[in-house]
Amino acid sequence: MSNDHDGTTRPDGAQAVVELTGVHKEFGDAKALDGIDLRIHAGEAVAVMGPSGCGKSTLLNMVAGLDRPTAGTVRVQGQDLGGLNETGLALFRRRSVGMIFQFFNLIDDLPALDNVALAAQLTGTTARQARRRALELLDELGVAHRKDVYPAALSGGERQRVAVARALMNRPALLLADEPTGALDSRSGEQVMDLLIDLNQIGQTLLIVTHDPDLATRCASRLVEMADGKVARERALEPRS
Amino acid sequence: MSGGAVWRASRAAVKRRKLQTFVIGLVVLCSTTTVLLALAVISAARAPFDQAFDAQRGAHVVAAFDPAKATAEQLAATAHRPGVEAADGPFPQAVVRMPVDWLGRPPGPLTLVGRTDLAGGPVDRPELLAGHWATGPGEVVINQPFKGYPDNALGKPLPGVPGLTVVGFASTMSESAGGWVTPDEARALHPGGLQMLYRFTDADSEQRLTAGLDAATEGLPKDALTSGQSYLKLKQAFSAGADAFLPIMTVFGTLGLLVAVLIVGNVVSGAVVSGYRHIGVLKSIGFTPRQVVVVYLTMVSVPAVIGTVLGTAAGWALAGPILKMAFSGIMTGTAVIEPAGWLPAATLLAVPLLVALAAFVPASRAHRLSATEAISAGSAPRAGRGLKVQRWLSGTRLPRAVSLGLGQPFARPARSALTMSAIVLGVVTVTVTTGLSSTLVRAVGPNGGTGSATYVHVQTGHFAGNKVAAPKLTPEQTEAMLHATPGAERVSTRGLAEANVAGFNQPVYIDFYGGDEATQKLHVVQGRGATGPGEAQVGPAFLDQHGLKLGDRITVDLEGRQQSLTIVGEELEGNVRAITTSDATRALFTQDRHVVEYYVRLAAGADADAYIKAVKDADPSLVADVATVDMTAPVVSIIAFSTVFTILLSIVAALGVFNTVLLNIRERRRDLGMLKSIGMTPRQVVAMTVTSVAWLGVLSGIIGIPAGILAHRLITENVRIMAFPESMIDVWGAPLLAGLACAGVAIAVLGALVPARSASRLTIAEVLRNE
Ligand SMILES: Nc1ncnc2c1ncn2[C@@H]1O[C@H](COP(=O)(O)OP(=O)(O)O)[C@@H](O)[C@H]1O
Ligand SMILES: [Mg+2]
Repeated sequence: MSNDHDGTTRPDGAQAVVELTGVHKEFGDAKALDGIDLRIHAGEAVAVMGPSGCGKSTLLNMVAGLDRPTAGTVRVQGQDLGGLNETGLALFRRRSVGMIFQFFNLIDDLPALDNVALAAQLTGTTARQARRRALELLDELGVAHRKDVYPAALSGGERQRVAVARALMNRPALLLADEPTGALDSRSGEQVMDLLIDLNQIGQTLLIVTHDPDLATRCASRLVEMADGKVARERALEPRS
Repeated sequence: MSGGAVWRASRAAVKRRKLQTFVIGLVVLCSTTTVLLALAVISAARAPFDQAFDAQRGAHVVAAFDPAKATAEQLAATAHRPGVEAADGPFPQAVVRMPVDWLGRPPGPLTLVGRTDLAGGPVDRPELLAGHWATGPGEVVINQPFKGYPDNALGKPLPGVPGLTVVGFASTMSESAGGWVTPDEARALHPGGLQMLYRFTDADSEQRLTAGLDAATEGLPKDALTSGQSYLKLKQAFSAGADAFLPIMTVFGTLGLLVAVLIVGNVVSGAVVSGYRHIGVLKSIGFTPRQVVVVYLTMVSVPAVIGTVLGTAAGWALAGPILKMAFSGIMTGTAVIEPAGWLPAATLLAVPLLVALAAFVPASRAHRLSATEAISAGSAPRAGRGLKVQRWLSGTRLPRAVSLGLGQPFARPARSALTMSAIVLGVVTVTVTTGLSSTLVRAVGPNGGTGSATYVHVQTGHFAGNKVAAPKLTPEQTEAMLHATPGAERVSTRGLAEANVAGFNQPVYIDFYGGDEATQKLHVVQGRGATGPGEAQVGPAFLDQHGLKLGDRITVDLEGRQQSLTIVGEELEGNVRAITTSDATRALFTQDRHVVEYYVRLAAGADADAYIKAVKDADPSLVADVATVDMTAPVVSIIAFSTVFTILLSIVAALGVFNTVLLNIRERRRDLGMLKSIGMTPRQVVAMTVTSVAWLGVLSGIIGIPAGILAHRLITENVRIMAFPESMIDVWGAPLLAGLACAGVAIAVLGALVPARSASRLTIAEVLRNE
């Protein structure tokens, strides 16, 4: 079911994978997003930077369909998320996006393999098939030997790689990362960065929120700088070495 | 840090946990009500008699002597014998015969005692209910066995006893007389006996009473004592009805207490456990361990105290009517059947204490926790519990949402066990109630129910007690008229008389059924109906109290004629002082049929109103109306009790589930947010959450239903005013069991649904924000 969208994930696709127009988000009186316009094309790797509280995570949540804007439209792969109900959003997340977080958000009660398999099992894939694909992914990410270990016993870097595997389980068109290295020591951070670069190189569209300039410059092809809920500056980055 | 800070922190904690605070309050409320009701009935069973009896300085023994064998002086001297605490008498005692039924009592003997010191004597001070004491010739005060008296009877002649006018109604707990006149009046009525009233220093058992009486009457001629009525027998008869409810109340009361303790413990400890993170924060800003415990105790005490107060008020309000029902139809005399005054005090003290205790254990754990430990302990259940099960479940073919739900209870085994115990108790309650109702429906079915036919119930004016008009027709004429009036198909009669049984110290009521459907009226659950002459049937309480069994014979004295009757059948239920027999047996004693009621079965399609009008035209003194299904007071009360308790306990159990699910969701909201972020739909969230407790519900059914069946059997076999045959106890058909199996799941799902839906609507972004 994840194959229908393969056309849009190719780097040469002209269509925008993400398209935000005039997106506002208010929490009570506080304005978290104040008129965001942003397009991300297939195969791009976009980094969003800015001071704490400027609205980066809020922006990411809009794109992931985890929250709804107060005003404006969010389109992902041409689909207007405002037209989806809760179930529709859930199915959208399942099919089209994968997310990784600063604090991994793994389920403590399940070993690495089952944490990864979970994402496919929710769609009705059998346990056996889901585990097989999960093992493949863990292998690709270099943590297959830790498949039976519970999150509490994994290192930070290992946890984040398991989280990446889970995010990739359903072959999402878009991978979203919110401060993916924020809770990691520098060595583990490097490894996760390398992983993201590799993924982008095989065509995975990325949207990364960070305030680590190193992460932004190494992984992204474009940098979006935010301040006070607005896009302050946008520039292309040097191609990676 | 000041006490003000502790109080402010507690208040903030309550405010942040509005829902949980509300649940604690509600659980405590329902539990308090349940416990209060159960205690009210249990404690009311005997205490009211003792109270009223003591207030009247009741006679432990009411003795009658033959004046031909013992003189008044000899009897007066018995008052000073050792062991006699107080005595009064002798009073002249005469028996008059009331030829008609009057104020609900059947025709029969009425014992009149000549006494003047009724209000202030050393023993037996009847309470004057209306009018005044008899002070002059021709005046009589009637002993009224129930509270309340008919105003219109005051100042009227005593029916059938020439020369006596009713000037008052009084009530004696000692049942020392049917009425009182002046000693002169009594002497004029040709007294056949002398009455002595005794209180003994030692009156705890039947044997001691006998010993006391023997000591008092020592030296008197052997057969001078003609009867000695013990107050213990009266007390037993008084509480017989309420005693019948004791097994039920004990079972429900115990269930209620257990459920209350379990849920309160679970809810409160859950509140503390889920507050660990908060505790860590408090400690890190400088709260001492003791202050933290105080914050938590305060947090649960506020709703607990409010819940206790409201629950006590609700229980108190319900206790009155429920007790009234339990004691309806009992000769209460002046005993005030009301919930004991100490009950609210007890619940007001004990319930908050219980809550505090339930909170103290986890709160003292919080006491020991270091700040960082607490912060990390609060976020999620510790990994490592039930992991094998989770692992296995994730490999099954079940939908993932379901298998995740199934695994959840293993993460918090203690909480799951407590929750399940509450559901189990809920299932037991529902099972017991369902069983009882089925049993009672079967019991009422064959004889109490009137089937599809319409019945008209006709009473004589005297019996109905609201007619002054004299009857126009004799019983025979009435029966013939009822047959002849268009629409009648079958006519049955019930006669009622008061009689004496040799060896019993109180008169009994004897019913005679006759007419077309007499056989149906003589319905028994053991032995056979007393349809033949010389046969009688009685209820289980009658057999119990007199130590009789089927096949035994009793000697009955009715209107001066004695007959030996054989007890051939045991009725489902019956008054301790009632014998049922047929009109054929009545004919052995007397020509007077004593008919007080007629039951007329109408032909299909007959006009009941027209029939009733025709009956009233024929004899205006008759009272006729359409008969309703005759559910007896015990049946109604048992059903009412069990329904109230079932509702309360089910609510409490469902609240327990509600609370557990709420806590689980709160603790797992990060996992939940993550699951939703990877595409779990709202329906899957509900399915997962409901599954997590529904299977506890299934398990509870497996444990609770057999336990409930057992409890039902215990109750039905021990309710001694009803003798249920096996066919009525074994009510468990497959459909009923299947229905009950759903009870546990229903309680669980009911409690889980609301939090499950709120979980499905949880805003993920908020949950995942920098946890
Ligand atoms: N669920 C929420 N409720 C209230 N305010 C929020 C919520 N989420 C974000 N905010 C506010 O919106 C602003 C932007 O937050 P966020 O997007 O998390 O910032 P960033 O990720 O750039 O640090 C902040 O001021 C934050 O306090
Ligand atoms: Mg952020």
